[in-house]
Amino acid sequence: MSDSAIQETEAAVSPLQWPENGDQWSDTEEGGIDMEECGLAAMAEEDEEINIYNNETFGSDMDTVVENEGHPINSLPQLDEQPPEPPSSPSLPSLSPSSPSFSPRTKPQFQIQFPPGLRGRGRVPRGGQAMAQMFEDPAVVTTVEGRQSLQRLDSSIVDFGSVSHWDDPAPDSRMFPSYGRTRYISGSVLQDPAIVYVMDSHMSSRGPNYPLSSSRWRRGGPRGSYSNRPFVQRCPPQMSPLMPRSPIISRQPFTPQQPYNQTRSFLSSSPRPCPSTPQPLTPKMMQLRFGANSPRPFPFYSPSSNPVHRFRFPGPVTQLHPQHRRLLSQRQPRSQRKPDWDPYCNIMSAKEKEWIIRLQMIQLQSENPNLDDYYYQEYYRRMEAKLAEEELGMRGKREPPKLTTPYVTKTESYTPVVHIEGSLGQVAVSTCFNPRRAIDAVTAHCPHEELKDLRQQRLDVLKKIEKLFMVLLDVEEGQRMKAHVLGEGEESRLMERTQRKVEYIFSQFQNPCPLEAGDEFLPCLLVSKGKRLMARLLPFLSRDAALKVLRVVTFHLPILMSRDTDESLPVLYPPLRTVIGAVTFSQLIGVLKDFTASSPDSSDGSDCLSLACQSKFGLSLLYALLSQGERLLSSDVPLEPSIGDFETWTDTVFLVASQLSQSALVEPLLLPSNLLTLFCRYLDKRTVHQLKSNIESATGHLAPPS
Amino acid sequence: LSYLFYSFFKSLVGKDVVVELKNDLSICGTLHSVDQYLNIKLTDISVTDPEKYPHMLSVKNCFIRGSVVRYVQLPADEVDTQLLQDAARKEALQQKQ
Repeated sequence: MSDSAIQETEAAVSPLQWPENGDQWSDTEEGGIDMEECGLAAMAEEDEEINIYNNETFGSDMDTVVENEGHPINSLPQLDEQPPEPPSSPSLPSLSPSSPSFSPRTKPQFQIQFPPGLRGRGRVPRGGQAMAQMFEDPAVVTTVEGRQSLQRLDSSIVDFGSVSHWDDPAPDSRMFPSYGRTRYISGSVLQDPAIVYVMDSHMSSRGPNYPLSSSRWRRGGPRGSYSNRPFVQRCPPQMSPLMPRSPIISRQPFTPQQPYNQTRSFLSSSPRPCPSTPQPLTPKMMQLRFGANSPRPFPFYSPSSNPVHRFRFPGPVTQLHPQHRRLLSQRQPRSQRKPDWDPYCNIMSAKEKEWIIRLQMIQLQSENPNLDDYYYQEYYRRMEAKLAEEELGMRGKREPPKLTTPYVTKTESYTPVVHIEGSLGQVAVSTCFNPRRAIDAVTAHCPHEELKDLRQQRLDVLKKIEKLFMVLLDVEEGQRMKAHVLGEGEESRLMERTQRKVEYIFSQFQNPCPLEAGDEFLPCLLVSKGKRLMARLLPFLSRDAALKVLRVVTFHLPILMSRDTDESLPVLYPPLRTVIGAVTFSQLIGVLKDFTASSPDSSDGSDCLSLACQSKFGLSLLYALLSQGERLLSSDVPLEPSIGDFETWTDTVFLVASQLSQSALVEPLLLPSNLLTLFCRYLDKRTVHQLKSNIESATGHLAPPS
Repeated sequence: LSYLFYSFFKSLVGKDVVVELKNDLSICGTLHSVDQYLNIKLTDISVTDPEKYPHMLSVKNCFIRGSVVRYVQLPADEVDTQLLQDAARKEALQQKQ
């Protein structure tokens, strides 16, 4: 029945040249269509039994695994080896002693691999007309005659003892599977004969209409024979988790011809005990245990470059930041368990899944999660801080107790290619040593300042700001460290270093420009990134330095406002407000003078004040200054004013008031509560009233009562 | 070894995203998990464009290999761009060392 069919298939196919004459194939040649149909029925019969068995054995699983169409999984090219026995013809006779029963048989098995084109070698192995049609879809695998004894290759099953003979791959046999050649599938769960079997049954039973919709996975039970169906030789270089997807490779409906191109594969004769014996499925440990009996060292079992830390594994589940976890659990109503049978459950056992997840998590262990996982840690830390502040009404920061990836000592060397035991292929390590040149920011340096064009100048400023940002990050990191308990000496040294960095940034930012004094901070401040940098730097600056920045900003306010195309000025408001809150009366007067003087920057004579009314930032700054003045005046703090300060103050208030009542105002970032109080004291009721309504119309709500 | 975007996507786990693939398929779903290769697992997916991909109708969850992703559309308020910039700076610094 099926065996004879298989024999026929092989006979028909083996004379074909593998794959070189693929262009000569035509659709007219009748392949084993009839044969395939017979075999399909037989296989389907088998499937039913398997399905029932699986149904009884296993529960349901939620995950559905669907492969993305046309997705080229990089299959693992490595394990081609010359078969110990010569190719196709001698292997054929070995099929004959097979019996229709499910006794274990020794047969060459077919192995599937992806068209090598997808693996970068550019050749598609095809085995026949029927196959040619079906396998036009690169996602569908082709069958290749393989060697026996899948189970030896299974690293997740430790309990069989036979050692396979692993020869070194012949140079050409790698990529061109043929009936005459044998291939090996290396790696873990793929080699599980149970999985092979299930995949086989899976593929055939669904018939022409429906791609692998159900899977009943057997774990090797009492039946020792396994029909061979296409299964993927997958282990892509990167992702072992891609393995579970293998059975669902083809997106094309199965044609009647399809299952035919696979023959039965039969494992070696030893009946295996059920592999469901609990094995701790940790990669390294498996290899150790397997060591005595393992195949000879082979690419996929090559010793890892860092053997040390394989021994300790985190839990298989990703560790989330507690805040994140809370968020997620809030979102899901936990009622998702559906009673329906999920056709894709149990493709892999829980242990296998765990093994694979562990495999991944190993690579994610880091000795410096703060750096490697910076974004995630910082994001949730800030979120937590924000929530804590909201809930408790106070700013208390607690360090998050959990790490996403635990601390592990990492080897120093840089391994461009990482290999994990038991996996197929190698892990691609991405670095940023050769980043794509996404932006054209690298240009030749021009020696003379004047010759640089505008674009180059801007690039220079941006580069400089980036450098300063790096230093700023250090400064902020240093401040975070301060929260931890440090030794006395350490802390002072840290502060000293931090201070030096701050001063460095400040001086660089200032950019002493020989051409125009007073233009100092402008180049950086005009760029939004520079504004952001300054906003983050301000809290670290000394009082004098901060005041200097404030004066520069107010002095150059018109030009800053006019050139603020992306409206990033408001980012400066909060830190500047803090600075204003700390100035003395005299200093305040000085700043206000800048505000009210007609600015040298403006070409059309309009003064700073009128421009400020139209700018959120400008107006907010003005309000903040006035508010500070009012605060100082109404407090009991001795003002120590200089001569003429009070006059200037009064004049300023009048000037501002008249300006504000005349112009249309934008909504400020913050409206200080003592502003109207201030105006009330100096102005008559009418003006105050007008001011008030003007301000209110801008803000859209009532100004705080005076 | 670059973990920047892995770290970034991890913070978006549980949020709704739209993944546009290099084969022009766009899939909307909740980000269930991501790994260091930026393979993405989505749950409760739907195909965003008019359903010219009917084979996806019955699919609830999917696993997308990172290398086939062209874009991932994110909710803007779940992303802190300034923090991302800082993370990139730190990563660049680290790689240089």
